[in-house]
Amino acid sequence: MMKQLFPIRHVMGFLASLVLSVAALAVIYLDLSNSANMAILLITALIQASLQLFLFMHIGESADTKKELYLNIAYALFVGLVTIFGTLFIFVWGWYA
Amino acid sequence: MKIDASKPLEYSTEENSNKIFGFWVFLGAEIALFATLFTVYFVMVDRFASGPSGPDLFEIGPVMIETLLLLTSSFTIGLAVHAMRHGYQKAMMVFFGLTLLMGLGFLGIEIMEFVTYVHEGATLQTSGFLSSLFVLLGTHGAHVSFGFLWGAAILIQLKRQGITPATANKSFIFSLYWHFLDVVWIFIFSFVYLKGLM
Repeated sequence: MMKQLFPIRHVMGFLASLVLSVAALAVIYLDLSNSANMAILLITALIQASLQLFLFMHIGESADTKKELYLNIAYALFVGLVTIFGTLFIFVWGWYA
Repeated sequence: MKIDASKPLEYSTEENSNKIFGFWVFLGAEIALFATLFTVYFVMVDRFASGPSGPDLFEIGPVMIETLLLLTSSFTIGLAVHAMRHGYQKAMMVFFGLTLLMGLGFLGIEIMEFVTYVHEGATLQTSGFLSSLFVLLGTHGAHVSFGFLWGAAILIQLKRQGITPATANKSFIFSLYWHFLDVVWIFIFSFVYLKGLM
């Protein structure tokens, strides 16, 4: 029963997300370059988000809707990333100046 | 209502499957919503006028506790769905209840953080940086607050009706919502707090 209540994949996923959160603290406690810090944040955040999406939310579990769900999330991410980086490109990285 | 026994209860009718699909579409829209709020924050982050800046304001301690609470609650709601699929109603309700309590703990700390910020002279009106910060954190916090009330209502139904196709469907959809809020928090943790402190 304990094995059924605490499936090993979920426990490992949880431990992994804790480790990644602590690993991300490197950006404030280690004296790394700015780009190394951003790389660490991007990598740890993306792995954690994927853990949630694939492991905990079971995005791929229903064969009927799998393709549509991936497309939907991919499109939402596309819109979101274009919004974020398009705006940064114009207002922060100097295209407008 | 045609029940397909080969699928988990929460997918077992056509209506149930459609509701889960529809909720994923809604989460797609939520991604776009939070992307716009992050966008405003990233543009405004250095416009702190005469008010405090990120490094002046942020403290890692409470933020780590918030992160830990939300990560663990995301884990327990995953366990609740797992227990549900094995038909363990009691274990499911315990995990579900723990999830909601940790959500409440998160909100308590976040509210204390906001009160601290305001005492340090950082209000919604102080600067562009703080307006965008409070709107981003506040929208996430409002989602958690709504999730707490929604989850509590589902928990009452679970207690009254047990695990049925209807309550299983609601619980599963709630778990999607809760995991999504955790994902948003991971990005707030990384790109608002840690980036602000580095």
